[in-house]
Amino acid sequence: MSLKSLDPRVTRLHLPDGEVPPMEEKPALDQFETYEAFHQKKESTPHAYAGPVHAPNEDVAFLFAKEQYSRRFPCVSLWVVRTENIQVTPYANDGENVYDILRVEAPATQSEQPEPYEIFHLKKRGKAHTHVGRVVATSYQEALQEAKNQFGDKAPIVNVWVVKSKDVLQSAEDDKDMWATTPDKKYREAIAYKVMDKITKYKEENKNTPA
Amino acid sequence: MYGGGNVFEATKFDDLQTEDPAKLAEFEARIARGEKIEPTDWMPQLYRKQLIRMIEQHAHSEIIGALPEGTWITRAPGFRRKMAQMAKVQDEVGHAQLLYSAAETLGKSREQMLTDLINGKSKYSNVFNYPAFTWADSNIISWLIDAGAIVNQMANAKGSYGPYSRALERICAEEAFHLKYGHDAVVHLATGTPKQREMVQAALNRWWPPIMTFFGPSDKMSTHTETLMRWKVKMASNDDCRQQFLDMYVPKIWELGLTVPDPNLKKNAETGQWEYTEPDWDEFKRVINGDGPCNAERLAVRRTAEERGAWVRHALLNPKAKYVRPLA
Repeated sequence: MSLKSLDPRVTRLHLPDGEVPPMEEKPALDQFETYEAFHQKKESTPHAYAGPVHAPNEDVAFLFAKEQYSRRFPCVSLWVVRTENIQVTPYANDGENVYDILRVEAPATQSEQPEPYEIFHLKKRGKAHTHVGRVVATSYQEALQEAKNQFGDKAPIVNVWVVKSKDVLQSAEDDKDMWATTPDKKYREAIAYKVMDKITKYKEENKNTPA
Repeated sequence: MYGGGNVFEATKFDDLQTEDPAKLAEFEARIARGEKIEPTDWMPQLYRKQLIRMIEQHAHSEIIGALPEGTWITRAPGFRRKMAQMAKVQDEVGHAQLLYSAAETLGKSREQMLTDLINGKSKYSNVFNYPAFTWADSNIISWLIDAGAIVNQMANAKGSYGPYSRALERICAEEAFHLKYGHDAVVHLATGTPKQREMVQAALNRWWPPIMTFFGPSDKMSTHTETLMRWKVKMASNDDCRQQFLDMYVPKIWELGLTVPDPNLKKNAETGQWEYTEPDWDEFKRVINGDGPCNAERLAVRRTAEERGAWVRHALLNPKAKYVRPLA
């Protein structure tokens, strides 16, 4: 027996009706690894943390992040980073400066070539991390030290994320047309529905008829 | 948007005696100061378990809740309504993704949550076990179920867990349109031809009983509930949410000349509280445990999507990838 639905398209799926064996456990990566997405709402504001996506690779992560986080509201730029490539400091209490409680030590020997790192600060618990700038360093530790020197006076700072710039997939200038039509989709805005006008008209027309 | 009717059951983690008293005091002090908890903070087992359960059920409700409205996309009258209905359904599925990620930060993988949904181990909002017979049913869902969900979500957004609050903030921003869209669609039918009015009244009659159960049965005021309220996991009692919903929406139903199918529904002028016929909680229990008109279909559709899409996921899978929890 197959399942009959009110929706003919569901009926056409020929879903089995009645008892079915439980679905087997899925491997942990059935729906891919995680990426973190950052969006920039307008040119004058920094990139801010939008949220995670699950994707099989960076390009698909970018596509998913674009759909998930920049579909409904203005956006001019989008970044995605594989979660494991983000170094996270401990969280401080609200109002504190996390750099003050960290023991940040630059490594003694500089074996690697210097490269750029992106620095993100969280100002208050429950809010989103925002991009504060870029430093050049040879390691995450040194990048954190540099970040403290350059941006450490912007307290409160409750948490810091450090990412190698090369690990950030950034939208290009040419990509901006992706968001060109967002404001045209008025049917997704509450303001497009003039409900009160219709109700007022209805009440006006029916004020003499009992409900 | 569909996070209604959480029933908080006691768990074996209720016993806070086993928690480290110093850490527990620090945790409670943080919440009392109005600070949010972030994923790497120490937290009691009870807090973690209840939040996973609550956020996971909320996520499932979004993904299953998209089904009754989703089936109406192809039959929505007119191109504009199809576009709007599609945008709304897309939002709901997106909300599920946001919520699954928020729950993942607490340590349960998305794969495990989806498996538990399909195997009937974890629940979703009971109202979606009822069918949407007509286009008007879909409109009543868009308006009144979303309205109920917004009452709930606005409260929960003020809760203590950072990732859940962040997700809800985005969800509430996207939902503003759903409510207006649903209201507009109902108003269109209610102010239309006699046939249209009859259709929307019939849909309201069908959906009223499930809507009244949406916020769940009255809370048993136990130390358990008291603890969860102090920790800002549960932000308002089920009855308070139901009262707030009735206060906001019954007048909007009445002003359209529609009737609510409950002869006992009235606002007590002295207490300021709504009085109503107690919903049928036996039916609620029966349906939530699997015996509703659409339980089997909802899970079968979800399972089929999971199974028939497996080859695509496997083809895309990077064999070297390793699982890392989302950060925030």
